[in-house]
Amino acid sequence: MSAFVQLAALGIAQGAFLLMASLGFSLTRRVEGFLNIAHAQYLSVAAFVTYFLNNIAQIHFAIAAFAGVVAAVIVGFVVGKLVYEPIRHLGPAVSLITSVGVVYMLDGMIEIIVGTGSFLVTLPRVAPVRVGPVTITLYQVLVVVIAVVVTLATVRILNHTKIGTAIRITALDRYLGASRGVDVKKAGNASWLLSSAIAGVAGVALAVLGALTTHKGFDQILIILAVALLAGLGSVAALSISAMTIGVAREVSLLWLPAGFRDIIAFGIVILVLIFLPYGISGRVE
Amino acid sequence: MSEALRFESATRRFGGLVAVNDCSFSVSSGELVGLVGPNGAGKSTLFNLATGYLAPSSGRVVVGEEDTTNVPPHELARKGLSRTFQTPVFFPELSALDNVLVAAHQELPLVSAITGAWKRESQHQEERARMLLRRVGLEQRASVDSAELSGGELRMLEVARQLFNQPSLLLLDEPTAGVAPHLQENLAELIRSVHEEGVAVIVVEHNLGFLLGMVDRVVCMAQGSVIADGTPTQIHDDPAVIAAYLGGPK
Amino acid sequence: MSPLLAAVITVGILIGIYGVVAIALNFQYGEAGLINFGVVAYFAIGAYTFAILTAGPPSETALDQYRWGFNLHPFLAALVAGLVGVIFSMISGWPALRLRGEYLALTTFAFAEVLQSSLVNVRAVTNGTSGFAGVVQPFRDAVGNYNLLILVAALALLLFTMWFFQRLVRSPYGRTLRAIKGDEVGVTASGKSPEKYRREAFFLSAFFIALAGVVFVIWLTLARPTSFGAEITFFVWIAMILGGEGNNWRVLAAISGLIIFDELIGALPLESVEAVQRVNAGQIFLTGLLFVLVLRWRTPRAGAI
Repeated sequence: MSAFVQLAALGIAQGAFLLMASLGFSLTRRVEGFLNIAHAQYLSVAAFVTYFLNNIAQIHFAIAAFAGVVAAVIVGFVVGKLVYEPIRHLGPAVSLITSVGVVYMLDGMIEIIVGTGSFLVTLPRVAPVRVGPVTITLYQVLVVVIAVVVTLATVRILNHTKIGTAIRITALDRYLGASRGVDVKKAGNASWLLSSAIAGVAGVALAVLGALTTHKGFDQILIILAVALLAGLGSVAALSISAMTIGVAREVSLLWLPAGFRDIIAFGIVILVLIFLPYGISGRVE
Repeated sequence: MSEALRFESATRRFGGLVAVNDCSFSVSSGELVGLVGPNGAGKSTLFNLATGYLAPSSGRVVVGEEDTTNVPPHELARKGLSRTFQTPVFFPELSALDNVLVAAHQELPLVSAITGAWKRESQHQEERARMLLRRVGLEQRASVDSAELSGGELRMLEVARQLFNQPSLLLLDEPTAGVAPHLQENLAELIRSVHEEGVAVIVVEHNLGFLLGMVDRVVCMAQGSVIADGTPTQIHDDPAVIAAYLGGPK
Repeated sequence: MSPLLAAVITVGILIGIYGVVAIALNFQYGEAGLINFGVVAYFAIGAYTFAILTAGPPSETALDQYRWGFNLHPFLAALVAGLVGVIFSMISGWPALRLRGEYLALTTFAFAEVLQSSLVNVRAVTNGTSGFAGVVQPFRDAVGNYNLLILVAALALLLFTMWFFQRLVRSPYGRTLRAIKGDEVGVTASGKSPEKYRREAFFLSAFFIALAGVVFVIWLTLARPTSFGAEITFFVWIAMILGGEGNNWRVLAAISGLIIFDELIGALPLESVEAVQRVNAGQIFLTGLLFVLVLRWRTPRAGAI
């Protein structure tokens, strides 16, 4: 039982990370209308910039992390404007195929700079904390807290600011919005910036939660896909439920399945959702 | 005379909208029937129900002796039920001749392609296709890329293709739409000659003039239901029909 | 044998093997409009099935965790491997082919990842991360330079694959596929089922890709999960897009170019491991860049998506 609770707690930390990782991805999906497979690479960019500045340039972690997020924002924005927007008219399938090229470009760039191997961001060592039957580290708690903050901030931006409303209208119906005077171009720009920023924060979380490899970004994309597809095109709440469910399920499954099968679970979810729940748990979006 | 097509209380709903409402009528084999009614009357939906592109929400459609509910459109097409669409359907990047030939070589296409068995009948199929192109007046345009054909020519091409497999029932959805007036007479003549060969034909038309002199029977729909069924003259004078049309443009 | 000759033979074998995969992919994407991001799965299945079927019974050592080796004749094993590839495509196709465009891509991708994961984890069948070593090489003793024989086999398979798919494309079957890309409704009105054609394209492609996997594993004599990752799928995809989907010869030229470029890079006299890594990374970057540029500046054929 206590093993279950322990794994569930780890699952919550994972779920918090997954929520951040998928939030930007979902935003791109809704606003730009395609699945950006390279989204996980934005996490990598942030993670590796953080690692590089923190470990190699010996810059304070907070600044390195901030720079990491900024790097992700720049990369995401540039790729969005230069690569994805010019080909949007060719349809979501072409955009998906193109994003594979972007994956190669970003992975290649990162590997040129940092090389291959396993990298660990040096952080102040903190003793794990015991809360009842659960042992967690401060960093895991921090990730959950940051995820909550980021999510709430995103919700606030989307619902209570002018640009957020513009983004939501563009996501719902770009052409109708444009004809009603919504600045869809600005909304598009804002959504690239916002989704990349969230990805950046998730990337920093990734760097904090474990060792980095240059393939870690791509490994995440299938889980991100699982979370996003399970949630469907609905609200942030649906995404939160989906992220937590998958995060906890993956960790708790260790009680019964070898670690290698966890990935099969994620992939299996993708397949099952696409077949049986094409609109995710949100159902059809009105 | 046997029955080519029968609607039995066919109904089709889209959410709250009832597009076809409890329609029951039948068409005998060899009949030439006009289907008229104002915009939104449900004529195209009825066609889609008959040809398998939509399933009825209730009631059923019977073609020949068989209930066609849940039978996919391509299977119905193979059973002798042929149709055209409001906007002529064609295959760009294929020549006019190839457009017609898409309907050819129905048996075991993959096996035939691998073994080369199709070559034995390809000459016969091509001759048949050319014959149909001649019949619709497109003989000279056989090698032309179909994307370069006019609206009227595309309509004729579509009919040619739909005649390839000798259907027993032909459904034409607004065949004169997009066809230049001088070609419409050709189209009428084509329909008459097809009918003379024993094919049952149902023509949806807005242009009542096109139907007069061609069909013996007209069914009129409005708001999803059949409101009249008789000779062209009877329909022309029917007060319910007049009222239905007065409501909207012809 | 001179190193240059050995390199040429290696390049030839790779072109043969990956060429088959590229041609099969070109058929299902260029002709049938299917976006299959799980191509490596059939490749892996062909390779592993052959390895498992031709393997002897497991030895007593701890390394052999698999349970079944069948000692089957190589030709029979190759044929069965192709058929097992088709069966897997039918299993994955049943859910996947209902979906279109990017969702078909994702489902096929997910299946390939599940398969690779299974290759690692279902040790009783696949011997886990160790895989199968010492795979049977038919006619090994009869020939001096065995790689030369593999080259001949690979190129023969390539030519057969090209001939086969060309034959389909030039027949009424191909005409129907082009019509499906033009207007599916018109095809159903003509009595033919687009779903059936797409299914057939999917299964046929899987057969040839699996056969390519058989040649691959005979050449390497080794079947390991790490050999069958998504990189292979995307390598072939990139070649196909660069070559221009639709024309087999151009696709073949593109994949030959990528393979030769890869081998040239590998032959560079680099001093350190880091240098090799950097150059490889640069190669990955350039490939991605080229891919993005081609997609950006050349409109793919409308209707193929």
